[in-house]
Amino acid sequence: MENSNKENLPGNSQSIIINVNGIPTKAIAGESLSCVFYANGWKKWHRTPYGAEQGLFCGIGHCFGCLVTVDGVPNIRACQTLVSEGMDIVTDIILEGKS
Amino acid sequence: MEHIEVAIVGAGPGGMSAALTLAEEGVEVAIIDNNPTPGGQYYRQTYINNTTKKLKPHQQEGVELRRKLHDSKIRYFSKTNVWGTFEQKILALDGPGAPPALEAEAIVLATGAFERTIAFPGWTLPGVITIGAAQILNENNVSPGKRVLISGTGPLLVVLASELIHAGIEVIGVLEGSNLLPRAIKHLGALFGQKERLKEGIGSWISLQKHRIPYRLGCSVCFARGEDHLKEVTFCHLDNDWKPIPGSEETVSCDTLCIGYGFIPFNALSVTLGVEQEWDPFNACYIPKRNMFMETNIKGVYSIGDGTSIGGARLALLEGQIAGVAAAQQLGKSKKHPEKYISGIATALSRERRFKKMYTDIFTPGFGIYELSEENTILCRCEGITTADIRRAIDLGADTSGEIKIITRAGMGDCQGRMCSHLIANIVARETNKSLLEVGQFQPRPPVFPVPIENLCLSVDKSAGKMG
Repeated sequence: MENSNKENLPGNSQSIIINVNGIPTKAIAGESLSCVFYANGWKKWHRTPYGAEQGLFCGIGHCFGCLVTVDGVPNIRACQTLVSEGMDIVTDIILEGKS
Repeated sequence: MEHIEVAIVGAGPGGMSAALTLAEEGVEVAIIDNNPTPGGQYYRQTYINNTTKKLKPHQQEGVELRRKLHDSKIRYFSKTNVWGTFEQKILALDGPGAPPALEAEAIVLATGAFERTIAFPGWTLPGVITIGAAQILNENNVSPGKRVLISGTGPLLVVLASELIHAGIEVIGVLEGSNLLPRAIKHLGALFGQKERLKEGIGSWISLQKHRIPYRLGCSVCFARGEDHLKEVTFCHLDNDWKPIPGSEETVSCDTLCIGYGFIPFNALSVTLGVEQEWDPFNACYIPKRNMFMETNIKGVYSIGDGTSIGGARLALLEGQIAGVAAAQQLGKSKKHPEKYISGIATALSRERRFKKMYTDIFTPGFGIYELSEENTILCRCEGITTADIRRAIDLGADTSGEIKIITRAGMGDCQGRMCSHLIANIVARETNKSLLEVGQFQPRPPVFPVPIENLCLSVDKSAGKMG
């Protein structure tokens, strides 16, 4: 297989740190960003153009309710993004609770 | 522009099966998938992280297929959206490492399906997620919530309930919209030969019984409440047309509601390619027309698996093989006779088609369920368009999905109408006394996925004006 993203082949359960709105947050390599958000009790993070607050919904990349900014690139689907060490995430909504 | 013999869209069971079949015949194949890892939804790879859990038989199967894909010469582009398809079999791609435009001699569409959701007041609240989303969280050892209610239709409701119970999450009930039994009895024969499916179904059912989880037939959520997050859910009984029965409501408190009312094939790419679509009355959706070799009305364009017609992973695997053999022969790469190949797998094919018929007959929601949305209920989640907005457009004379889209912007957002097309079509049909066929669906147009403008320009540039 000629893979365009070899780093995403089956991984292990390695604990890593990502930045969510500037706050270091624990995550597990290979899980999606929506898993990280839910594991921290954050269930909404995207604000739609008309002001509604959304988060995970379809979970498979079709509904676009879970958009975040990843490493400066806006409008990235959290459910389709696997986390990696040092990833920098910015959300539309301020996240409250544990981290 | 880059060129490939066969481009396959989707790396789920159907796409992987077609790719491996073609590669075996020596055909040059590229497989393009928007997920980060191959497998689609059925062979989801998330559980690889759960080294403590024993793999289920179908997960083991997925591991095998991925290994074969890995060992092959197949070009694989992950995290890549096919945002448009154009005549002369050109695919416009947006993803890391993928060419912006790819020209193919044949295309196999294996795009899969998404969950059919139903609009009811409160369905856009955080805490309301699909069954699939809940399964993915749970497979990653992340709990979707503390007190979970499951509402929808199909065996997945029971499977999810059982998975959550095993993870120690409180499941307060399962609401199955179908009045299962009268419809199920005539299909008992379709369970013949479905050992693995039966085993999983019965296993899940037993754990529901053991934990005394209420399983209600002919019931559905009808209202969800909470200020900034789900706090309580009202459910009701449904009549035979799935219409809510007034006065049958009960309210329970919960922080998570998982919904899933069957599946809708993702047919946007076959529409943009110009493939003729037909209305499937059994699953209440539009599907690409095709012949016994999985080929559509456009020569060299094949459509397989749940992205064509909901039949599950087993059927998708078989259809992938058929399309693979047929395309290889068409390209002059193989002497295998597609017709002979089909007769060779006839028993398995008819077994899976019987199951598919049973599934859609029992678990397709009746049109009454679309009466749950109220005036201020949002139907188009991307653009915030409500039932009242749709009614106003109807008052202005709109009576097709296309006209509704132009007047209201419904279906023009990021999801391109995938979440709301069926919801809005049903309301228009009801209000204007037209059939769903007359109302039609939102016409998908490229870009069917959002694409940064610079990448869009790059695709157009690389295709040297051959797009559109």
